Amino acid sequence: MFRYIGLRIVKGGLTFLAAVTVTFLIVRLMPGDPTTAFLSDSMTAQDVQALSAALGLDKSLPEQYALFLRNLVHFELGQSFFLKQAVSAIIAPRLAWTLLLIGTSLFITLLIGIPLGVYTARHKGKWIDQIVSTMIVLGISIFIPLLAFVFVYVFSLELGLTPVGGAFTPDVEDSERIGDVVRHMLLPTATLVVVNLAQIVLYTRNSMLDVLKEDYIRTARAKGVNDRSVTWGHALRNAMIPTVTVTGLMLGRMVAGAVLTETVFSWPGVGSMIYEAVQKQDFPLLQGAFIVLAFSVILMTLVTDLVVAWLDPRIKLDAGIIR
Amino acid sequence: MRDIGFVESFSKHRLGMIGLTGIVIIVALGVFGPMVVAYPVGYNEAMPLAAPAREHWLGTDGLGLNLIDEIIWGARTSLFISLTAVAVATCIGVPLGLVSGYFRGRIGGLIDSVIEIAMTIPTLPLMILISAISGPSVGTVAVVIGVFSWPTLARIVRNSTLKLASLPYIEAAIVLGIPRRTIMFKHILLNAVGPALVDLTIIMATAVLTEAGLSYLGLGDPNAWSWGSILQNAFRAGHQFHAWWLIVFPSLAIMFFVVSFNLLGLGINETLNPKRD
Repeated sequence: MFRYIGLRIVKGGLTFLAAVTVTFLIVRLMPGDPTTAFLSDSMTAQDVQALSAALGLDKSLPEQYALFLRNLVHFELGQSFFLKQAVSAIIAPRLAWTLLLIGTSLFITLLIGIPLGVYTARHKGKWIDQIVSTMIVLGISIFIPLLAFVFVYVFSLELGLTPVGGAFTPDVEDSERIGDVVRHMLLPTATLVVVNLAQIVLYTRNSMLDVLKEDYIRTARAKGVNDRSVTWGHALRNAMIPTVTVTGLMLGRMVAGAVLTETVFSWPGVGSMIYEAVQKQDFPLLQGAFIVLAFSVILMTLVTDLVVAWLDPRIKLDAGIIR
Repeated sequence: MRDIGFVESFSKHRLGMIGLTGIVIIVALGVFGPMVVAYPVGYNEAMPLAAPAREHWLGTDGLGLNLIDEIIWGARTSLFISLTAVAVATCIGVPLGLVSGYFRGRIGGLIDSVIEIAMTIPTLPLMILISAISGPSVGTVAVVIGVFSWPTLARIVRNSTLKLASLPYIEAAIVLGIPRRTIMFKHILLNAVGPALVDLTIIMATAVLTEAGLSYLGLGDPNAWSWGSILQNAFRAGHQFHAWWLIVFPSLAIMFFVVSFNLLGLGINETLNPKRD
C-alpha cells in the first residue's frame, strides 16, 4: 500500500515536472525572440531590465530552466502585464471559485451518474441500450458555449429564475450569502454536469454488466442474499473501479469545460481569467493559469488513484501491478 | 451460418449509417461548396443583421455578409483542421502504441508512462497558451490539436497490440522467422486498425469542438471563416440576443459535424464488437 502511494506520488511529481517543462520550452523555443512573449510595449526600459534579470534571459538555457524551477517552488509565476500584480496573487482567489465549481459539478455528476449506470445495467435490453448509446453520443458532442447560452436564455432571460452571470451579488446581506452563491452556481454547474454525465453512466454501466456475470455474484445469489444487497453491496464496489479511473481521466476535460463555461457565465474563476488574458495578450497570466490548473488536476488525479487503491484490495497487497 | 463482411454488417447499423450520411453531406459542403460560393469578404451596408429570408437563407451577420456562405467556408476549415489533427495524432500515437505494446519490458513501460503523463495534463489551457503566443492561424491550431490528441490513440493501439502479440498466430510468425518489422506492421497493426479507427472518428469530432472552443475564446484565425469564429464575432459584437441565427446556425453546424463523426465511431465500434449475449 505505501509503495503504491509512493509510486503514485512520484508519478504525479514527474507529470507536474513534464507540464512545467513543456511551458518553459514553449515560451522560449517559440519562433521569434523568446523575450517578446514576456515583454510588452508599455514597459519602461527599467521594467524590461528588471524582468530580463528575473527571468534570467541573459543566461544559458539550462540556467534559465533552473531559475524557472526555483521561482516555481517559491510560487513566483511572474508579473501580469496588464494588472501589474504578481500572477500568483491574481490566480489564488480565482482558483478557489474554479475548484468550487468543478468540485460541485463532479460530486453531482457522480451522485446522478452512478445510480443511473447501475439502473441501466440492471434493466438492460434493446430499448434502454438505444437510449443510453444515443445519450452518450449527444453528451460527448455538446458544444459547451451553446448549451450554456441556451441555459441563460431560457432560465435567466425568459423565466427570470437565475442570475445571468457572476458568482454573487456584491451588496447582499451576510445571512443570504450562501443562498446567493448557490443560485449563481445553478446554471454553470448544470452545464458541466450535463456534459460529463454520459461518461460516468457509460463506465458504471459497462463495468456493472461485467461484474454481474462474475462467479462470486452467482455465489452470493445462490446463498440467498437479496437482489438489492447483491447489486449495491457486492457488485457496485468492484464496478466502481473503472468509474473512478475514468473520473481521474475526465478531470482534464472538466477543466477545459470549466474554462468555456466560466467564460459564458462570467464566473470569476481561472477560466474566465484565461479569456480576459487572451483578449489582452497577457502571456505570464496564461502561463500561470496553465501551471496552476495542471497542478490541481494532477493532485485530484492522485486522489482518484488512492480511491481506486481503497476500492481494489489487490493493490494494497502488491504495488503497481494493476492496470 | 454465413460470415458477413464488415461493410454489410455496418450498413445494418442504423445510427452508424446516419453518421456516415452526415459526413458525406459535410464533405460535399466543404469540398464543393467553396467552388460555388464566393469567399465572404468586405462589408454589405444594405442589409446587416437581416433575419433568414429567401435571398439569404440563414440571414446575414453584422457586416451584412451571408451567413450560409460563411458556414460553407467554415465546413472547409473544420475538415482541414480535423483531418490535419488526425494525421498528426496518427503519426505520433500509432508508432508509440505499437512499439510500447510489442516490446513490453523497459521501453514499453517508459512509453506507457509518457502516455499516462500526457493524458493527465489538462490540454486546453496549454493549447490556449501556445495559440496565444504563436498567433492565431488555422494551421497552427490544427497541428496543436493533433499534437495533444495522440495519447488516447497510443493507449488504444498499445492495448490491442498487447492482446494480439500474445496470440498463437504471432508466436507462429516468430517461429517461422518472419522479421519483426513485418510482424509489427503487417500482422499486428492491420488487426489493430478497428479500435484505432473508432478513436480517429472521436479525434475528428473533438478537434472541431476544440477549434470552436479556441475560436470562441478569441484565438481563431481572422483570415479564415470557421464556425467558432462566426460565434465569437457574434458574441463580441453583442448580437447574441437580437440575432439568434448567428448563434443557432453555426452551433448546429458544429453539433452536426461532431454528432456525425461520433455516430460513425459508435457504428464502427458496435459492428466490430457485436454485443455479447
